[in-house]
Amino acid sequence: MSVVAAGSHTVSPATRLQGAGQAIGLVRLTKRFAVRRGWRAALRHPFQRQWALALEDITCTIAEGEFFGLLGPNGAGKTTLFKVLATLVLPDGGSATVGGYDVVHQARRVRSILAPVITDDRSLYWRLTARENLELYARLQDLAEESARVRVSELLEAVGLADAGRKMVGAFSSGMKQRLLIARALVARPRILLLDEPTRSLDPLSARTFRAFLREEISGRQGCTVLLATHNTEEALELCGRVAVLHQGRLLAVGAAADLSRQMGGERYRLWTRWPIPGSLAALEREGIVGGIVTQPDAEGWARVEMDVAGGLEGAARVIDTLSRAGASVGRFESVPRSLADLIEGIIGRRTQPDA
Amino acid sequence: MRKVLALVRANWLTAASYRFNLVVSLVSLLVMVVPVYFVAGALQPVMARSIQGQGGEYFPFVLVGIITLMFLTTAVTSLPTALGSSIASGTFEALLGTRARLGEIVAGTVGYAFIWTAVRALLLLAVGWMLGVPLVAERSPAALLILALIVLAYFPFGLFAAAGVLAFKTSGSLPAAVLTVSGLLGGVYYPTHVIPSWLQSVSELVPLTYGLRALRAVVLEGGPVGASASDLAILAGFALLLLASSLYVFTLAVRHAKASGTLAQY
Repeated sequence: MSVVAAGSHTVSPATRLQGAGQAIGLVRLTKRFAVRRGWRAALRHPFQRQWALALEDITCTIAEGEFFGLLGPNGAGKTTLFKVLATLVLPDGGSATVGGYDVVHQARRVRSILAPVITDDRSLYWRLTARENLELYARLQDLAEESARVRVSELLEAVGLADAGRKMVGAFSSGMKQRLLIARALVARPRILLLDEPTRSLDPLSARTFRAFLREEISGRQGCTVLLATHNTEEALELCGRVAVLHQGRLLAVGAAADLSRQMGGERYRLWTRWPIPGSLAALEREGIVGGIVTQPDAEGWARVEMDVAGGLEGAARVIDTLSRAGASVGRFESVPRSLADLIEGIIGRRTQPDA
Repeated sequence: MRKVLALVRANWLTAASYRFNLVVSLVSLLVMVVPVYFVAGALQPVMARSIQGQGGEYFPFVLVGIITLMFLTTAVTSLPTALGSSIASGTFEALLGTRARLGEIVAGTVGYAFIWTAVRALLLLAVGWMLGVPLVAERSPAALLILALIVLAYFPFGLFAAAGVLAFKTSGSLPAAVLTVSGLLGGVYYPTHVIPSWLQSVSELVPLTYGLRALRAVVLEGGPVGASASDLAILAGFALLLLASSLYVFTLAVRHAKASGTLAQY
């Protein structure tokens, strides 16, 4: 699947998954917020308003069952988009549908199939137990008393809180609260799950466990369509089939996660070789296979070399082949994950090129 | 209804987890009523003539006023207070993300406060009965009906204040103003006909004036509800007018908060 630089107002075929129904459809979705002005400006021009665009002409579709990533820095518009989808914020222009239902005119139907995971753990009732929290939301989601009890037990088991079900939430660790928030969102078996930076407050170990839970349980076993907003490129690339890059309210690109990383950001590799640096690397640079070489001496006569490698896996294979034929020692050769900033810079750079 | 009850239960469990607060709330009520009883006894000779048509005994007179004021306070303050803290904690947004309707969330949010007020009112009545207030069971359905009308006439002020919390992040001084004016001019501690004539005309704009007059006529005088028909009609008019306008304003405020993205801001 190729990467599509967003910006046109038609839905590109590359943004669709073949053979799957549409879970979410966004057409020219726009949202702006009034900018808060200082006292002086407000008194001088009381009826004038300044606006900040939070979402600008977002057009995209997400298929049922997809694990879709929304990648963007703080203030990109990810949370606003989620709140529009969750019917908590009204859009100013365009349309958004969830499972075919309009988020403005059929808000209640939307809420019956979609669940936002509000990651602020203050949104839990801290003075209640985990079970009481889940039972409350089960009742609010129309589950009968007995079904609610069974479902709550299932969920506590699924998120690894079965033993803590009768404990007051206020005594939970951040990781436990996060898992409880997920369980709360899953209580009514939603078809679509919105996750807004779910691993933000988790330690690395808990984050890894949590990502495995999302992939295997939520996406795999339960078959939920998952929309994951994050500014962690690694997380998005690890979990998501497709990724959209959002920056300053605009959708910069949509595509398969691996393609996006490769095509938009280029691929950067790191290798350890014996000092001095083999001359064959310079030859590869002249041929345009590698570029942006940065060398650093490492321990015990080894050097660490970082470089951009063109041509995907073929290019990487050629680098290894050339070095080994030249008799250079290669201690380790690994791909370096792109940072979100690099990715966005790459996309913006590509979009501003006249022939891009 | 199930959703409303679920929210009421959650609020009860939360309140019950603060055990000390719960006990203090009940004990303070008992501590408050005893001095009221003695002060009422001292004022009885002064008040006797002016409350002749409303039972003639000052302690039962003021007890009915205090209990009604308790319900009034709940009606006016419970929603904006609960909404404010729910917005601050983030539970409001989480609730709005469920299948529950806005009306169910509002009812569930204030339901517990009303039930707790009813419990406290029953406790006050029990103490009052022990101190000699004549309570007649047959009069309770009519009394409850009038009390419900009073609450319906005042809950709209709670809705207006909650709309203020949603739109401007403050209810301003609306709840305090409503409670002060109603407390002073609605006949809680003295009948409205003893206040200066120019203030009497203001008290005629206070729904509580009609509600308390009707309530005391039924509870303390044992009169039929029909005898207070004109007071009840005016009270019902207030309730209808205020409910319709406050529901409209509250809906507008929710829409404004969703449009401006300030639903979760405080």
